[in-house]
Amino acid sequence: MKRGILTFGLAIAIASAAFSASAQTLNAIKQRGALNCGANGTLAGFGLPDAQGNWAGFDVDYCRAIAAAIFDDPTKVKFVPLSAKDRFTALQSGEVDVLARNTTWTISRDTSLGLNFTGTNYYDGQGFMVRKSLKLNSALELNDAAICVQQGTTTELNLADFFRANRMKLKTVTFATSTEAVKAYDAGRCDAYTTDASALYGERLRVANSNDHVVLPEIISKEPLGLAVRHGDDQWYDIVKWTHFVLLNAEELGVAKANVDAQMKSDNPEIKRLLGTEGKYGEALGLPNDFVVRIVKHVGNYGEIFERNLGQPTPLKIARGLNALWSKGGLQYAPPVR
Amino acid sequence: MDQPTSPPRLRPAKLKTDVAIDIIGMHKWFGDFHVLRDINLRVMGGERIVICGPSGSGKSTMIRCINRLEEHQRGRILIDGMELTGDLRRIDEIRREVGMVFQHFNLFPHLTVLENLTLAPIWVRKMPKKDADDIAMHFLRRVKIPEQAHKYPGQLSGGQQQRVAIARALCMNPKIMLFDEPTSALDPEMVKEVLETMVQLAEDGMTMLVVTHEMGFARQVANRVVFMDEGQIVEVNTPEEFFAHPQHERTKLFLSQILQ
Amino acid sequence: MAAHTPSGTSYVRAQAVAPLPPPLVESGAIGWLRTALFSGPLNIVLTILSGALIVLIVPPLLNFLIFDATWSGADREACLARPDRPVVGACWAFIRERLGYFIYGFYPIAERWRVDAFFVLLTIGIIWLLAPTARRRTLGAIYFFVVMPVLACVLLLGWPAIGLPEVSTTQWGGMLVTVVVSGVGIVFSLPIGIVLALGRRSRMPLVKLFSVIFIEFVRGVPLVTVLFMASVMLPLFVPEQWSPDKLLRALVGVALFASAYMAEVVRAGLQAIPRGQYEGAMAVGLSYWRMMGLIILPQALRVTIPNIVNSYIALFKDTTLVFIVGIFDFLRTIEAARVDPKWATPVTSTTGYAFAAIVYFICCYLMSRYARDMEARLTTTHRR
Ligand SMILES: Nc1ncnc2c1ncn2[C@@H]1O[C@H](COP(=O)(O)OP(=O)(O)OP(=O)(O)O)[C@@H](O)[C@H]1O
Ligand SMILES: N[C@@H](CCC(=O)N[C@@H](CS)C(=O)NCC(=O)O)C(=O)O
Ligand SMILES: [Mg+2]
Repeated sequence: MKRGILTFGLAIAIASAAFSASAQTLNAIKQRGALNCGANGTLAGFGLPDAQGNWAGFDVDYCRAIAAAIFDDPTKVKFVPLSAKDRFTALQSGEVDVLARNTTWTISRDTSLGLNFTGTNYYDGQGFMVRKSLKLNSALELNDAAICVQQGTTTELNLADFFRANRMKLKTVTFATSTEAVKAYDAGRCDAYTTDASALYGERLRVANSNDHVVLPEIISKEPLGLAVRHGDDQWYDIVKWTHFVLLNAEELGVAKANVDAQMKSDNPEIKRLLGTEGKYGEALGLPNDFVVRIVKHVGNYGEIFERNLGQPTPLKIARGLNALWSKGGLQYAPPVR
Repeated sequence: MDQPTSPPRLRPAKLKTDVAIDIIGMHKWFGDFHVLRDINLRVMGGERIVICGPSGSGKSTMIRCINRLEEHQRGRILIDGMELTGDLRRIDEIRREVGMVFQHFNLFPHLTVLENLTLAPIWVRKMPKKDADDIAMHFLRRVKIPEQAHKYPGQLSGGQQQRVAIARALCMNPKIMLFDEPTSALDPEMVKEVLETMVQLAEDGMTMLVVTHEMGFARQVANRVVFMDEGQIVEVNTPEEFFAHPQHERTKLFLSQILQ
Repeated sequence: MAAHTPSGTSYVRAQAVAPLPPPLVESGAIGWLRTALFSGPLNIVLTILSGALIVLIVPPLLNFLIFDATWSGADREACLARPDRPVVGACWAFIRERLGYFIYGFYPIAERWRVDAFFVLLTIGIIWLLAPTARRRTLGAIYFFVVMPVLACVLLLGWPAIGLPEVSTTQWGGMLVTVVVSGVGIVFSLPIGIVLALGRRSRMPLVKLFSVIFIEFVRGVPLVTVLFMASVMLPLFVPEQWSPDKLLRALVGVALFASAYMAEVVRAGLQAIPRGQYEGAMAVGLSYWRMMGLIILPQALRVTIPNIVNSYIALFKDTTLVFIVGIFDFLRTIEAARVDPKWATPVTSTTGYAFAAIVYFICCYLMSRYARDMEARLTTTHRR
């Protein structure tokens, strides 16, 4: 009975969301004067308020990029901190226009939950942290190791799968919270600690001597994180999707925050199309043709966003890894602007 | 002490009709229990009625019906010509005219004596605070405890509390006063001071209904004594006749028991 | 013996006995030690055990919180163990840098004076209403329940027409949110609770039924569920533009929840009032509402003050649950900040939680302390 009511509610929500599609998300945002962005408020590097209470992070900058494209002003974003539980309802109900909250792209979320994923802005996956003194080079050498993990997560399941597939013996030590798990690892109760790589680098800072620990290169699960929008408004879907693609294209073509003005005069036809000096690709999205100039000027290209929030200048020091451009051995690949 | 030598007197408020209370064929039930049966009683203005009878005979219930602390189910009750019905405004009006004094005083413990007295005049009679204070002090002098005005009820003796309760009722300038065993909860040495106050009130011509077992008081001030048993009025007579020649068997038994 | 008169069995005291000071063992430090700490075998064991517990807990706690603590620094490096400083205690430098965030949340820095002004207004209101020596309480109550809320709304939300830019509630956070949520809960729960308690005792069947259903339903559901329903279910059925603000939804949820509990507390107080009080009040001609307002409730509330304050303390702590619906209260801002890579160290989380514990403890202790003082004052002046 309860389930029935819930399903019914969800059905109405999805139906009304589909109905409101004709209301045009973009127009609603312009009228409101701000983008409503669902974000994570507690994930280091992805979404976290800084000392001044300003939102900062990799996902957060994606929302700023969208705002820059629409308003030429990256501050016109209202961030709504969402928990893992209520993030989908918030998007379905229209409380937020876009969900930028380290959300894994899966088939069920893409279909029955009524969401559209707009690409993978961060290839995440489960990784391992171990003590340097163990001199391990690969997760495959973890046979018979004690591993600290948070209880009741997909992480715990992936771990078991990985060990079974590789015929290794597993000893897990589980904890209710990640804080406890890290403490236990630090105290020497386990040889390794495992969680999503995106979080792993942040956790590394919470052990007594972070330099004595390394994150192993293996990623044992697929957690493609991306921004999501509601079903039913294709124009808005395209805008968010292409914000991601132009950030990648900008990096690939060497268009960065510092040189974007100079690049406007470039003769390279690919850059000309990207920056709107040739063609009317912005118009097709309902945006000005120079929307990429606006984005890059205010928030930089993909590489700049990555470095600023996750890369070497930050305490996290996450390597590009899978998130390097396709041309540099990574997976990040964007369709061309033409 | 600035206490005057003879306490000030005040004429009780005038009744509109000659008949103060008229109870006609009144019945009351508590659930299935027929507690009052065919009560008929006419009290004239200025009359003092003493009601007595064995415990559980319905004395309290009867006088509580008069100011609607209990609701009667059959028959009529008229107070100064106004009939008691379920009409809330009418009930408020009647309660303003009928003062009541309880066995356990029922003073408001969170208010000072003076505040106990002025509360109803200020909120119900809409009297300015200054006037209410004056009247309250007047009645406190009359019950001979003006010096206690700023204490809390809990700091007074039982007799003093009951006198405050009488003063509280008088502050509303009632036409009729009901007393439900006002001295039963008091230590013997305090009974006298309360009875004195009541005698004084009787001398001023107040219409009074008093449930009491103080037969001396009945002899001294009552115009009539009402004897109740098993929810019925069994006998009504002048005090002289009532005590000298009780008519009903139950009355004789009752008197022999309490006059032992 | 000299006091006895020699004749017969009857006894009359002839001389008064002057009072003497108590024997030394009963008073003085030794007497106290003997009676309070070592009066029997069980008492001795308990004394030794608690003494050992104190010795075990207090010094490490003080070491962590004070002696080994880091008081200043620019980032996590300051709070990391080094060869010359192997033991690190609390990282207060982190709390110092993030204090603004813990108090104001995302409130824009240029506008934070408005929050300060709100805190000042609130403090004035609380002192005016609660200080035992305060004058003109009625005016204080009007200020606290009418003037201050309006001023607070204008200040915190903004009013562009008079030059205060709008600050939407999504930017509120930290102590501000904790104070607003628990304040609204505290202020609204008492009157709503009173009305519900009276409703539950009402003779009108519909009023009674509604009160009972409301109270029992809300009390039968955890606060988390109430908040979740208010914030997740509501927008599913109401279109975006009608659905109220997220914080407002949580405020309504918390206020209704607290009211149901308050209703039961008040009901217990009402039950403690003897029937004679109702009859006394009716007999002097007070109407129902005056009887309740002037006679019954003042007494009922007085006997329930400890329970009311208990509910307030519970509510103050329960407000931490609003994080479930994505509102950053005081505790949540600390939780969020502790993962900041700039400050993440082994002691950062512990420091954050210790700070939260200290702040919550001080607030709750002050509340219960005030309640105890007030109770003592009332019992000395208004004995029954
Ligand atoms: N609220 C009530 N509900 C049910 N029965 C009641 C109620 N009040 C009184 N009674 C019953 O009605 C009868 C009359 O009670 P009442 O108090 O009028 O007696 P009383 O003559 O005043 O006795 P006492 O001298 O002991 O005060 C008693 O049997 C009593 O038990
Ligand atoms: N990629 C995951 C994200 C899971 C997630 O958001 N996890 C919650 C906790 S269950 C969270 O807030 N994580 C923040 C963190 O890892 O610190 C998904 O989409 O399910
Ligand atoms: Mg009686």
